[in-house]
Amino acid sequence: MFDGLALFGKSLASFADPLTLLIVAGACLIGIVIGALPGLTATMGVALLTTLTLKMPSNVALLVLVCSYVGAIYGGSRSAILLNIPGTPANAAACLDGYALAQQGLAGRAIGISTTGSVMGTLIGMFFLALFTPVLGEVALKFGAYEFFWLALFGVIISGNLTGNDPLKGWLAGFVGLFIASIGQDPIHAYERFSFNNRDLAGGFQLIPALVGAFGFAEVLTVLAAKTQKPVIHRFDSHLPRIGDVVKYWRTILRSGIIGTFIGIVPGVGEDVASWSSYAAARRASKEPEKYGKGSVEGLMAAETGDNACVPGAIIPVLALAVPGSAPAAVLMAAMIIHGVQPGPLIMVNNPQFVYDVVAMMLYATLGILVFGLALVKPLLKVLQVPREIIMPIVFVLCVIGSYAISQRLFDVWTMLGFGVVGYVLRRYNYPMAPFVLGIVLGDLLDKNLRRGLVLSDGDLTPFFVRPISATLAAICLATILMNFAVVRRAFHAVYVALTPWRKAA
Amino acid sequence: MADSPPSPRADLVWSLAWIAIGAAIFTGGFTMERLERQNINPYTAPGLVPALLGIGIAILGAILLVRSVRRTGLTAAAEGGTPADRSRLAVALALCIVYAGGLVGRTLLGFHVSFWLATALFVFVSILAFEWRDRRARGELGRGVAVAAACAIGTAAGVTAVFQEVFLVRLP
Repeated sequence: MFDGLALFGKSLASFADPLTLLIVAGACLIGIVIGALPGLTATMGVALLTTLTLKMPSNVALLVLVCSYVGAIYGGSRSAILLNIPGTPANAAACLDGYALAQQGLAGRAIGISTTGSVMGTLIGMFFLALFTPVLGEVALKFGAYEFFWLALFGVIISGNLTGNDPLKGWLAGFVGLFIASIGQDPIHAYERFSFNNRDLAGGFQLIPALVGAFGFAEVLTVLAAKTQKPVIHRFDSHLPRIGDVVKYWRTILRSGIIGTFIGIVPGVGEDVASWSSYAAARRASKEPEKYGKGSVEGLMAAETGDNACVPGAIIPVLALAVPGSAPAAVLMAAMIIHGVQPGPLIMVNNPQFVYDVVAMMLYATLGILVFGLALVKPLLKVLQVPREIIMPIVFVLCVIGSYAISQRLFDVWTMLGFGVVGYVLRRYNYPMAPFVLGIVLGDLLDKNLRRGLVLSDGDLTPFFVRPISATLAAICLATILMNFAVVRRAFHAVYVALTPWRKAA
Repeated sequence: MADSPPSPRADLVWSLAWIAIGAAIFTGGFTMERLERQNINPYTAPGLVPALLGIGIAILGAILLVRSVRRTGLTAAAEGGTPADRSRLAVALALCIVYAGGLVGRTLLGFHVSFWLATALFVFVSILAFEWRDRRARGELGRGVAVAAACAIGTAAGVTAVFQEVFLVRLP
């Protein structure tokens, strides 16, 4: 406990020099602007900034990425409140009450609430990040090939089930991602798979150009293909947060923070599910559920606390298991690997300081969004009014040069283009991107550990199903799939009713 | 992205594509070299996981096929965006591919254009193309050209300076 505090103090001090603080400020501001602009998502922002921070020292580069990630998820609430367009998918729930408040001339108050919620959410998530990462890391040390295989499959299945609105398409996207990860040299024998004697393909697809394409170029195409209207912004009141709102809704803040963090820990689910789940839980527990959707302060607070709490939550499995909790966290994980940090079960053994460095980064990011969220309300309004037709070509230039800069080879530009077109088409037909990305990230883990497990057991499948953690993960995977069938749901409900007769009587 | 849900017909076409893709991946994995000459453990054969993934994709595709047929996929009309959306998409795609593939990649046009010039041209043409109709309707074409030119020069100079001079990237 005290060791952790000492490491955290050391991390805080290591970032406390003027130049680093200036970088924190810049990164938070860039993140907020990226989040606030509809069409630029947190994943795209973190992916593009990864390419821009390659030459920085690793800790500073990751500080920039964490600050921009937190900033983007917070910044998305600005356009949700003012334009009724979520800046990122995570802020869709904030549109319901945020925009309703803005229509009532309370846009300033809504901005204050979203800032308070985001700050509190990040702080709650940060607390759990510091608390749970070492614990989860300890548990992960007991993982063997069987457990890692199920963990990879669990991530793809859960992510496919919970993101988007069609689990079948989510799983298809996830499986395609897993297959794409298998292209190139296989991780055990270095045999070239599906490379068709192409030297570039033999090396496989690099993650960052693929993600820049799937999230950046696909988004450029999506935005440019649809005609956008000039935004209309409502009148403003004071945007300073009220202590009374925090005191009055402390239960909502705490509940949403915990929900957000735990949804973040679940692989590949992410901030949008965290936001909607926190919103739904707050509505169920509310004394004024009829106000939800009509300008409920509590609803907006819940949504914004939940999505920002999810950010540190999504980083917990990255650090402890090398399994990302969300799409932006997947990019962050790739950036960590590029910068020589190896996340996973051994991180608490080999590099415990880094875990607390990330906690400290979260704290600086929280301060950044608090300061800029309140100080730059008017300039951010101007940013929101810049036409998307001007921004997107510039974003595409960054996609091209960002993909190229990592290894300075044109194949990565083609990778970005290819994944962009595929990503656009998949999204157009309701295939979610999060499981696709998670599949690409987890493909190597699944591939290696399935084959290692089979070698260890000499082809016997039993250990995959009887070891406690394996059995639990396998049961969750199976239950997640089966619960999508109406027949199974009905049977489950019938058993539940039969086993709880007192509910029927009540 | 505010898309309308795709029609069952689109899902039907996709499901057939997934079954074909799954079958192709399975075949590729199954027929892949098993490295028997190197005496490797047969459970570590490189094609094992792709073959299993191929089966998975084909099964999920088959479920999608059944579902789309049940939802009147054989009779429902195919869907697509409005003609205006489709033409904007075509212009965006063409500009991006010509810039990234042609000018930067030098593979379509076969001649060398400096990165900064290619970037400036791309940004200028893209902004002008997508703002053309609105600017013309408002009688602001001159202003539109000036804005596009300023953005083009600023982006080309900024990106070239940052990547070439600060990050020491040898630009394409």
